[in-house]
Amino acid sequence: MSIVGQSIGMLDGHDRVTGRIPYVLNFEVPGMLVGRILRSPFAHARITAVDGSRAEQLPGVSTVLTRADFAPQTPIKGVYGRVFRDQRVVAAEKVRFVGEPVAAVAAVGEERADEALSLIKVEYEELPAVFDEEEALKPGSPLVHDPRPQLDPAFSSLVGNLSDAGNICSHFKLRHGDVERGFAEADFVFEDTFRSPAVQHVPLEPHVTVAHYANGKLTIWTSTQMPHAIRAQMASLFNLPLTRVRVITQTLGGGFGSKGSLRLEPITSFLAWKANRPVKITLQREEEFVTVCKHPATIHLKTGVMKDGILVARQVRALFNTGAYTDIGPIVARNAGSAMSGPYRTPHVRIDSYAVWAHVVPAGALRGFGVPQAVWAYESQMDMIAERLGLDPVEFRRKNIVRDGDHYATGEKLEGVHYEELLRRAAASVNWAPEEAYWRKKSFAGSMSASQKKVHRGKAVTLVIKATITPSTSTAVLKLNADGSLNVLTSSVEIGQGAKTVLAQIASDAAQIPLEKVLVSEPDTDLTPYDQQTSSSRTTFSMGSAIVLAAKDLTRKLMDLAGEFLEVSADDLTLREGKVEVRGVPERSLGYADILRRACRGDLIGEGAFTTQGGLDLETGQGIGSVHWHQAAAACEVEVDTETGKVTVLRFHPSVFAGRVVNPRLCELQTEGSTFFGLGQALFEEMMYDDNGQVVNRNLGDYMIPSFEDGPLELRVTLLEHEGAGEIHGIGETSLPPVMPAIANAIYNAVGVRIKDLPITPEKILRGLKEKNIAEVQHF
Amino acid sequence: MRQIVKLKVNGLEKEVAVEVYQTLLEVIREEFKLFGAREGCGIGMCGACTVLADGKPISSCLMLASLAEGKDLVTIEGLADGGTLHPIQQAFIDENAFQCSYCTPGFILTTKTLLEENPAPSAEEVRAYLAGNLCRCGSYVKIQQAVLNAAARLRGAAVR
Repeated sequence: MSIVGQSIGMLDGHDRVTGRIPYVLNFEVPGMLVGRILRSPFAHARITAVDGSRAEQLPGVSTVLTRADFAPQTPIKGVYGRVFRDQRVVAAEKVRFVGEPVAAVAAVGEERADEALSLIKVEYEELPAVFDEEEALKPGSPLVHDPRPQLDPAFSSLVGNLSDAGNICSHFKLRHGDVERGFAEADFVFEDTFRSPAVQHVPLEPHVTVAHYANGKLTIWTSTQMPHAIRAQMASLFNLPLTRVRVITQTLGGGFGSKGSLRLEPITSFLAWKANRPVKITLQREEEFVTVCKHPATIHLKTGVMKDGILVARQVRALFNTGAYTDIGPIVARNAGSAMSGPYRTPHVRIDSYAVWAHVVPAGALRGFGVPQAVWAYESQMDMIAERLGLDPVEFRRKNIVRDGDHYATGEKLEGVHYEELLRRAAASVNWAPEEAYWRKKSFAGSMSASQKKVHRGKAVTLVIKATITPSTSTAVLKLNADGSLNVLTSSVEIGQGAKTVLAQIASDAAQIPLEKVLVSEPDTDLTPYDQQTSSSRTTFSMGSAIVLAAKDLTRKLMDLAGEFLEVSADDLTLREGKVEVRGVPERSLGYADILRRACRGDLIGEGAFTTQGGLDLETGQGIGSVHWHQAAAACEVEVDTETGKVTVLRFHPSVFAGRVVNPRLCELQTEGSTFFGLGQALFEEMMYDDNGQVVNRNLGDYMIPSFEDGPLELRVTLLEHEGAGEIHGIGETSLPPVMPAIANAIYNAVGVRIKDLPITPEKILRGLKEKNIAEVQHF
Repeated sequence: MRQIVKLKVNGLEKEVAVEVYQTLLEVIREEFKLFGAREGCGIGMCGACTVLADGKPISSCLMLASLAEGKDLVTIEGLADGGTLHPIQQAFIDENAFQCSYCTPGFILTTKTLLEENPAPSAEEVRAYLAGNLCRCGSYVKIQQAVLNAAARLRGAAVR
């Protein structure tokens, strides 16, 4: 029986239950100093003076890093950013959000470093600021970047020509069919606006970086999901060749997208460079909240539909608030924009998806990468439209879902589409019936408000379609050792998803080496080959494919050698359990270790590179949006207390298409995790800002994340697989986006209150109930 | 101001010089080099820094190190009996009741006290008792199962 497809427990499980996982948090280097960051108290201000001299004189303080270290005449500019080079290691002329790093110190201990921060004198001249993505686009609104920052040439096809666009950072367009004709043909046109707030990732392990600059080489141990991208950007910041920057990553204590771009690496590395000593920075929880967040978004949908429920047109204006600095905002806006017609056949689609700058915390990747905001909008609206047309929301979806051979809004032909099955399973999991729709309940049972019942139940079913980043590349090297054991050299990051275990299963199967003889490496850019990123639900699919290719390369070499020793053609050989044997003659075989010994080899290397092709045209959004599309459904039942507004999720059933499941248990864990992650965003997670642009709930006392008692009482995952040995589909994020609209629609079906701005707090439900009661009283 | 305190961690006593404002968590990590207790929030909300003090789970980020003198402190590193995992640890492995596992030591130590106080908890009681330990990866379903399995296993052991 193949090891692929089995629920192997995580191979590092023993270290996990004994507290011995070597997170970067635990990492220490002899002579290491502690770094701390001084942050801006203003959302938008001109810096008129920075004086670190008193801090520098404090005993125990090694270094103070300020804008003076990046003066125009120095070769080191200290400016970075993957799309726009708009971010500085420490602020120079201006600060653009509350919490922006202005200076940093390295000292012998945390207390001394904090004391030093208090001695740095910064003078500010406050400027008007804008926080909201809609306000930021109004004429006369304060400009976040003026002039526009320098664009990395590699991303010119992503942003468009926006030389005079104010706070618009990027504009993704999708043009498919003729949307005006579609609206003219439609029997009904519905327009609604949906909002999602800033949400923090809250990985329990904060961002941590240790940097050491010695002998012209920069070594960084850091909690990142993208070691190779970090190396490239740090090499550029320090004007060093890639060989002179080494990035090492350990197992992470969660990331959820937050640990994707450059975070602490620049400021820690420049402190270490200036101090000529290793420096470690560990973010405090409240600093996490001013480092990165989910994009707040305002999404306006205009949907044309025939009276029998066939969708004909969809127009979208989506604003993604990317905060004061761009990070990967334009890629988020594009990723969400490319799939805003949802998993539905829609002949006429016109999408304008913008990343917008504002004076708030920079937004970045967060599990789902823009798709949760989009699905929140379109799956909420699907239920609203079904009611207006008098249709069963599940049947309305079924009529419109994309099917094999359809051309998606991006123009690409869809294959391997499983929505019929996903929808059927999801609906069955909660015993969905047309009578579950609120308007049907209402017509059967009379006015809900007239009933004396305090607690009401409601169900809902939602869908999602999501891209995985395309094009992309993963590379793996397999090193077969003299004893027949196998090192898998990969830069995929173990982030809690079980990458080390799943990749070992794939390698074991592909190279026919027992699992206990396979060891998957930690990423180390000096040693492990290139991988684009550990994100976008791509590791098992993409790195798994690279490992299979590397195993083919390795076993080809083994068979060539064995063919010589066994005096047969390599074509007549086959592999089994660590041996090469003559096909049909099992007694004529050689173990891998024997082959290496006879060949006088200490080891044998196989390499594999897996690349996907595609991409979307900037002006039309046409092309290949995803090498394959990730598909899932969510179904739930909730209970709403009309006296308190409290929502209890009674049961939740995600169904996700997984292609071929490598490890069912770990797939379930990630899918359950997505459910909890979505549940927090549905019901309570929101970064709250005051009038000055300061995040006020930046701690886990005021910002709630789901606990044991917030979860569904019943949570059962369905993993849908291909028939036969199909392609692997990533499932890390897929089941998250439909959670929020599933809960919102279920709440609506319980009490008839429609909430269009997340999160769905008890206050909003009570306000909605009150307004509804007033409306119904007036109606009678 | 520094003071010398005698701390007993996992059965071993050690004199350490601590600042009066230093937390037990900092001292366990920096002086004892035990990294199983971790800061998640710094304000006693997440349970990632849980250690047992005289058998009761406490947030070590909220306790001053100097006040822990005289207490019998147990961290996750002190739970296994030599090479043999504690049955709760084994139950967490068997269910794979973790993802990133940053929170796992806190869950396991809190579970130990739960099962001492209530050897046969219901699922509801497990959820309520462990509500002060947060798992951002959302492994709660498997954790609940691991705790129930561990309870059954420990009851079996107690009978024998």
